Amino acid sequence: MKSTTAGLLAVVLLVIGIIGGYFAGVSTAPAAETVTVTQTVEGAGMATTVTKTVTKTVQAPGEVQELTVYALWSGVEEENFKMALGAFSMKTGIKINYVSQPELRDVVTTQLAAGTSEADVIIAPWPTWIKDELGAAGLLEDVTDIVNKVGRDKFPSAYLDVVSENGKFYAVPFKAWAKPGFWYNKQVFDELGLKPPTTWDEFMNVLDTLKAAGITPIASGDGVGWPLSDLVEAFIIGLGGPELQLKLINHEVAWTDPQVREIFGRIQQLLKGGYFDEAREWTIQIDRLMERKVGIYFMGNWINLMLQERGYRPGIDYDVFAFPGTGGIVAGGDWAFIPKFAKNKEAARMLLEFLAGAEAQTIMVKLKGFLATNKDVPKEAYDAADRNIVDMLGTLAVLPDLDDSTPSEFQRLFWDKLKELWANPDALDSVLAELEQKASEVIG
Amino acid sequence: MKTRRTTIIIFLLPSILFLSLFVIYPMLYNFYISLFKWKVVRIESFIGLDNYVKLLNNPQFHRAFINNLIWILIHVPTTTVLGLLLAVLLKRVKGSYIIKSVIFLGMVIPQIVVGIMLLFMFDSDAGVINGLLRSLNGFLTSVGLTEFSFPIRSWTAYPDTALPALIIGSIWIWTGFAVVVYSAGLEGIPKDLYDAAAVDGASPIKTFWHITIPMLRPATIVVVTMTLIWVLKIFDIVYVATRGGPGGATNVMAYMMYEQGFVFYKWGIAAAIATIFTVIILAFSVYLVRSMVRR
Repeated sequence: MKSTTAGLLAVVLLVIGIIGGYFAGVSTAPAAETVTVTQTVEGAGMATTVTKTVTKTVQAPGEVQELTVYALWSGVEEENFKMALGAFSMKTGIKINYVSQPELRDVVTTQLAAGTSEADVIIAPWPTWIKDELGAAGLLEDVTDIVNKVGRDKFPSAYLDVVSENGKFYAVPFKAWAKPGFWYNKQVFDELGLKPPTTWDEFMNVLDTLKAAGITPIASGDGVGWPLSDLVEAFIIGLGGPELQLKLINHEVAWTDPQVREIFGRIQQLLKGGYFDEAREWTIQIDRLMERKVGIYFMGNWINLMLQERGYRPGIDYDVFAFPGTGGIVAGGDWAFIPKFAKNKEAARMLLEFLAGAEAQTIMVKLKGFLATNKDVPKEAYDAADRNIVDMLGTLAVLPDLDDSTPSEFQRLFWDKLKELWANPDALDSVLAELEQKASEVIG
Repeated sequence: MKTRRTTIIIFLLPSILFLSLFVIYPMLYNFYISLFKWKVVRIESFIGLDNYVKLLNNPQFHRAFINNLIWILIHVPTTTVLGLLLAVLLKRVKGSYIIKSVIFLGMVIPQIVVGIMLLFMFDSDAGVINGLLRSLNGFLTSVGLTEFSFPIRSWTAYPDTALPALIIGSIWIWTGFAVVVYSAGLEGIPKDLYDAAAVDGASPIKTFWHITIPMLRPATIVVVTMTLIWVLKIFDIVYVATRGGPGGATNVMAYMMYEQGFVFYKWGIAAAIATIFTVIILAFSVYLVRSMVRR
């Protein structure tokens, strides 16, 4: 009995000693100092090397801070983003725990509803969600001072307006992306004597030639639903004009309107004619494109990075053309914000300032598949394919993504109904009627 | 007597405490949530039973409920019969525990993984199911019956085949449970009954019908009730493989509950579905417990 008591006493003393030692260490820690280091970042599996000089703030032992960052990116996009985060850590001594969160929206909303947040910084591509749902509910930190510090004139106003209300900013712009058009296997086009089409007739000729060569003309990306939506939006903008996209977003035109019906009628004819591939997981379609199983694939600029990661060369193995005669291009972005319940707000603010700045965005641009929102990023930082998209953004009307700009309820139905249309083209009229009903209900 | 009652209360107290905290309180709180209209994460107004009324008039909910019913009507009898037959057939096979373990394997695979596997299994290019159908079509063509060929396509991408594909997958993973329960039940049947039947000249089919099946009644109650409850709350497979689509063809109550709450932030509606769910599952559970106690 005596020995048990002595043992317990020893354990208690040991625990007290450890805790005491920890706090003693904290209290005697030296002050932080600033040194200059050089960091070299190499692209995963790519020839890109980003060499830069950064200022590193060495933190005192007890002051080591850690930030948790949530974003959607995984795979090579995650690897690239971690390089920018690495540069920030080198500069500030703040450790970053990056979490790739595919169900970002659901997870974050649920956490905030419970009055907590695992993440200190969140990056998401849905400005409506950020501003109108989380911001309006008072769940986000005001980051106006950061936007002002980086400089409002450094960003296109469209990227600021969507995350601000009455002069108050809920997020800072980080990444820009665009959905420029149909990506194609250049060697297939060369072999078949095809050129990027500029009219609907030329477009049909390309599709017919591909079909005759035993290649399914148009790839249909599936997954959570957005790839089919992007493809359909290209038809809406290309055939109905940029204003039709905007009117549909605001429900100023009915989904059953003859103009909309006519565009969907063309899609229906192509579906019935076997011009579209079966809807398949969207990354599988990238391989199918280069394996000559499908001819063209409508996708965003991030595919440039994914193709190069697979060893294909832009301009030689693949290229991109806009929807024939289109007057608009869908573009969007990713914004970084700080939830109200973040544990380390000061460090989070430092990270936001870094991400909005030209330094971080130049690193990302050099790693490809990333368009900068900060105007100070030099054009030379882009590779040929990305620069081509930047040029397109300068000549076409830049439009918001249709489904991303509508309430979740409409977005989910839109995705699901397009899948249904792909499986059963004869369901077109009921699909449009249901979309119209939902739009009236949730958009007004 | 008083001491005995005190002892009972003391022993029951921890269970009552935990049940109250983790089962009864959440159930009641869920019902409370269902009485309000929500805006993202905040309560907007008290609306009484309006969420229930809305739900009962919602065609999406009707479809989800019907899909659950279809799932039950196909899954429960198939699993029960398959489980019984496999258990009986494997009883006399040497080393049958290996086969049973393989069948049971489905039970230990996470349903999320099963959902992904189903996507691949029913894929038009790489799927094993379409591979088999292709071979079958080859045979049909060789015997001049091309018109009876099966269509080759990704089952989960089409409204008419998506639900059957998921049901087949769920039967595959749940049959192991029925086999294990029936195998245990078979071990409990006294051998004397079979000996007596043999002496009376009963055929194997009559023996099976008049001895095995009645003696397995408790096992059948467990299999049917547990399977019913499991199918009612099916979610993971749907979430991973189809997200309730295409065109709502595979939407079920549990998925709809998730979508209403975690995607549309209609927490009141989601809570109302959860309450309806609780009532249905509770009814089955009460039946199960009463049947077992009666035994």
